[in-house]
Amino acid sequence: MELKSALGAIVVFGSLVGVYITLYKLNKKTPLPPGCEDLKADCEGCHDYACTNNPHHER
Amino acid sequence: MSELITLFVTSVLINNVVLNQFLGMCPFMGVSKKRSSAIGMGLAVIFVIVVAALITYAIYYWILVPLNLQYMDLIAFILVIASLVQLTEMFIKKTSPALYKSLGVYLPLITTNCVVLNVCLVNISNSYDFAHMLVYSIGTPIGFALVLYIFSTIRERLDIANVPNPLKGNPIAMIVAAIMAMAFSGFAGIV
Repeated sequence: MELKSALGAIVVFGSLVGVYITLYKLNKKTPLPPGCEDLKADCEGCHDYACTNNPHHER
Repeated sequence: MSELITLFVTSVLINNVVLNQFLGMCPFMGVSKKRSSAIGMGLAVIFVIVVAALITYAIYYWILVPLNLQYMDLIAFILVIASLVQLTEMFIKKTSPALYKSLGVYLPLITTNCVVLNVCLVNISNSYDFAHMLVYSIGTPIGFALVLYIFSTIRERLDIANVPNPLKGNPIAMIVAAIMAMAFSGFAGIV
């Protein structure tokens, strides 16, 4: 029973990660609509450098 | 029916996710400088939370519970939310450039918005049935969007107000947020 549960956990986790990677790649391949190539968020909130909206990425 | 209305009012006003539970503070402070940005962010959050709540509710009761994997709820919900944001962004890119122009830039920010995860986890931890889950999942982001909009209108006025130099910017915004939180606590008496 424990082995079955562990396998189930691996399959569920792997499937969700697989779905995320697939959607991420498909999203990156999808061309941006015309006029949206250089959109910027008006955000100066938390100064989190990992966030893609941080102005640090534009320097 | 009255229970659902009470839950809706509670999730929008009384247990407001920003002013009462202090979740989603990053977009609350960061995307509240302009009214238009606040409206865009609010709409995007409403859409993502409702859809994420429906999907995570289905995954929990149809996959995790039958396989006895309830302990995986947190990691599963995070992956679902991240995937959903990618899917939503891709869908909007293809179908509605105008909508993408107003919402697209905020969609990646929603992945890290803890309000989304909070709604999904509360739906499970409170053992809501489908109707209660739906009402809570609609009410909470509406409360978020409402507060974000009100806050943005106040900040737009603060830009042209005569604020003392040491309080300009985020300090006066934090004071405004504190006063708003006190004002919203007054709604506790209506239910």
